[in-house]
Amino acid sequence: MSSRAITSDSHSMTQHAPATPLDDMASIVATYEQRIFRFHLVSIRDRDLAQSLTQDTFVRAWSARDSFRGDCSILTWLMRIALNLIRDHTRTDRFRFWKRVSETAVDVSDIASHVPHRDSSLESRLIASEQMTLVWESVAQLSDRQRSVFLLRFLEELELSEIANITGLPISTVKTHLYRALATIRARHNATQKDSL
Amino acid sequence: MTLHLTHEQLCDLILADSSLPFEGNSQNDSDVVQAHLRACLLCSAELRNLRDSLSHFRDASTAYARQEFAQSYAQRSSIAPPHSFLSQPLYWTAAVVVFVAALFPLSMHRQRSIPPVTATAVSASPQTTESDDALLADIDQKVSADVPSPMEPLADPTAGAASTTSTSNQRND
Repeated sequence: MSSRAITSDSHSMTQHAPATPLDDMASIVATYEQRIFRFHLVSIRDRDLAQSLTQDTFVRAWSARDSFRGDCSILTWLMRIALNLIRDHTRTDRFRFWKRVSETAVDVSDIASHVPHRDSSLESRLIASEQMTLVWESVAQLSDRQRSVFLLRFLEELELSEIANITGLPISTVKTHLYRALATIRARHNATQKDSL
Repeated sequence: MTLHLTHEQLCDLILADSSLPFEGNSQNDSDVVQAHLRACLLCSAELRNLRDSLSHFRDASTAYARQEFAQSYAQRSSIAPPHSFLSQPLYWTAAVVVFVAALFPLSMHRQRSIPPVTATAVSASPQTTESDDALLADIDQKVSADVPSPMEPLADPTAGAASTTSTSNQRND
């Protein structure tokens, strides 16, 4: 992310426009870039695409900084932009094509190796890896809306009111999406347990 | 009360959002749910299982994303020069050198292509045109001739004898 370009440009722009919290884009990028990248990566599951969309998120934020009224946090505002970008991108046929052929697509085995090992026993590590894999695969089955709401809640750990603000949905609808997403995960849990018995 | 927790009750326990408004009967409901969890091993085990799964998913995704982010950041740092360097004269000088180097072959090509143009202009002078016309007319005449000149028949073989006879007659006279 060429945050320095934005910053150097911002110095000349701020002489004319009124100051907004987003004028110091370099510090905003430094604070939120990793988090926005994480949301893109787990949503899209493609490294290159996640990088590209992360850059686009901050470029859009910089372009639309005058529209930021401060009625929500900067993270909420950035997440809203990120979510819109993901929605726009996943609608295209080009995305569906690249999803099939991309070499930078994230595989579940990539993630499974990052399950933290709080317990050193092999059995508990295997169980943790299986549980993570189950959720990872279940999330792939969710609808776009359910997946976004699920990730905002269980990956980004945002509160329901913030999710409602980001998605533009009522809190009751957000809860409904989460209930359905968790129902999918529960169903897979139960199926896996039945298979193991 | 049902035998086990409903899906919504289980989800509410997982969500446990402090930002939600406090509803009238929610405290009583919460007490009932907590009492059931203490008594029901199945529900408590399922709740623990779901929480663990979500926790592993979050931790693994976060760790993986952190690693990928660090890698991409390192790649960008190694490839892209700092943006402030673009303002240095060195880059502008290099750009000018590249531009001139790109123009040099073009100018050489142009110089080479000029002489044929002048030769063409010279050949188009009136004298050259006349000599070319004469040459072409000569060639045309030779080509259009029915029989080549070396193979033309002799004019009149007896004409020479007649003249010789008349000469001898004159001598006799």
